[in-house]
Amino acid sequence: MKKQRAAKLPAKLSSKGEHEPAHQSIWSGTISFSLVAIPVHLVKAVEPGRVSFHLLHSKDYSPLLRRMVCPEEEKPVPPEEIIRGYEIAPGNHILITDEELESVSPERSRTIEIIEFIDMEEVDPVYFDHPYYLVPSKGGEKAYSLLVEVMRRTNKAGLAKFVLGEREYLVAIKSTEGALSLITLHYSDEVLGSDDIAPAETKIENEEKKRMKKIIHEMTAGYSPEKYADQRSKGILELLKKRAKAKGYVEAPEIEEEEEGEGPADLVALLRKSMAKVKKNK
Amino acid sequence: MNKKFTEIKGKRVSLTNLDKDLYPAYGFTKAHVLEYYRSVSQFIIPHLKDRALTLKRYPDGVEKEYFYEKRCPSHRPSWVKTADVPQSDGGQMTYCVVNDLESLIWVGNLASLELHTPLSKANSPGIADAVVFDLDPGDHADILDCARVALILRDLLAELKLTTYTKTSGQKGLHVLVPLNNNEATFDETKRFSKSTAEVMQTNYPDLVTAKQAKELRKGRVFINWSQNDAKKTMVCVYSLRAREKPFVSFPVGWEELEDAERDRDSSRLHILYADALKRLEKKGDLFKEALTKKQRLPVY
Repeated sequence: MKKQRAAKLPAKLSSKGEHEPAHQSIWSGTISFSLVAIPVHLVKAVEPGRVSFHLLHSKDYSPLLRRMVCPEEEKPVPPEEIIRGYEIAPGNHILITDEELESVSPERSRTIEIIEFIDMEEVDPVYFDHPYYLVPSKGGEKAYSLLVEVMRRTNKAGLAKFVLGEREYLVAIKSTEGALSLITLHYSDEVLGSDDIAPAETKIENEEKKRMKKIIHEMTAGYSPEKYADQRSKGILELLKKRAKAKGYVEAPEIEEEEEGEGPADLVALLRKSMAKVKKNK
Repeated sequence: MNKKFTEIKGKRVSLTNLDKDLYPAYGFTKAHVLEYYRSVSQFIIPHLKDRALTLKRYPDGVEKEYFYEKRCPSHRPSWVKTADVPQSDGGQMTYCVVNDLESLIWVGNLASLELHTPLSKANSPGIADAVVFDLDPGDHADILDCARVALILRDLLAELKLTTYTKTSGQKGLHVLVPLNNNEATFDETKRFSKSTAEVMQTNYPDLVTAKQAKELRKGRVFINWSQNDAKKTMVCVYSLRAREKPFVSFPVGWEELEDAERDRDSSRLHILYADALKRLEKKGDLFKEALTKKQRLPVY
């Protein structure tokens, strides 16, 4: 067993925030509809604050590797021997190549074409998949602000098709606190129906309805998300800080790539002599 | 998928997704890539010839995922040459071999932006044609530091009566090549030679050079990666494009040119874009030609 390193608070834990907003552009292009074209780029809108752990070997603290292993040969399979199969029955697969997959993938596109404007209230949140922000690119600021303002006032959102990576997404573009946000939406066949979930209609007394309404009314507040925080993440970070102070951290063994040792003595002597000459000539 | 065909020497090569932008930040489509490789074909093919090619494919461009492909895809046209090369696990692997324009274009159409080759020919995989010193700057070091190291290496090896050539890696570093072409040097010998040389460099220039991989030691220094002298390793071929923001090329640099750039502290001259590469090739031809023909021997000791 290796020794644990002395207490020293790692920079990662001593800084205030866990992560700073990384506004790295994921895609760039234009939003277009009618005669309008706004150059924009796409950035992340959320960074889930989950604290993640590595799995280590308890004997020497080496971070463990995941390997793709063939159960038949019981050894790792090199990447060039890995292919894709679609399971039709246990053990039976239809083979498909990367080229074939590529042939059915949508062409990459540089535009987000708004097809229609919709009322955002009509879209139930079960359709929401993942949020992003759109940032105006150079020269697009004015048209961008105009669209933000008008969509805010009319409470409308643009519905568009958008190719990101391998997939074509249905997206809603809406105004969020002075900026444009883009939310990828689930296709309707991805959303499971609620038919089996809603119970059969039963008669509800007026009195009961009134009582429930009253309770809800009394508990109504404005939405202020900053009031809530992920308690578990906070707790884990506190725990890690205490740990780091009290017990320090463990270090993985260094992996030496090649064997150590001097080269052949004569060659080294020859090189040293030549090097001395080079230095003298300088 | 849009598909076109071209015919080269009676061979039909299908070209797909020609307008796909493979360098989106710069604007360089697959058509541009193919046009580049067509234009440099007479210069690059001698360096690819008879070597087991490793493809580095970027089907969705340089900003997206890539993969190395050593095994020559089974859907290859019948006229693409291949070579079976023994592997360390005892098996064999079938590689593509690019000896002609049609194979080069076919490979380019697979969005293999980068072409990587070993230091040996496919029919003599244990014989090293050259010794290479792969100069890789660590954090806070740059290509001009590599230039300094390359110039010292040139002088050191000249003392051993060895002529050297250099090219940019097309990324941040330089490759210094000692051609051997003597049909007898084994990788054991070239590795021992390059390792000893790197270590003597490190001893004499401890603030500039490290011969060790460790990231900490590389900080502010140039790592001389001698371990590239290995039958299993490949390096980017001269004139190959690199998958960076812009289409930079691994390109030969004359020693005088390197001295000038180092003296003027002008690293921009050592980052060569495809258009510059084409211009220089037209003017000066293949500066790396002798790397393929010059016969030399490592010192006997």
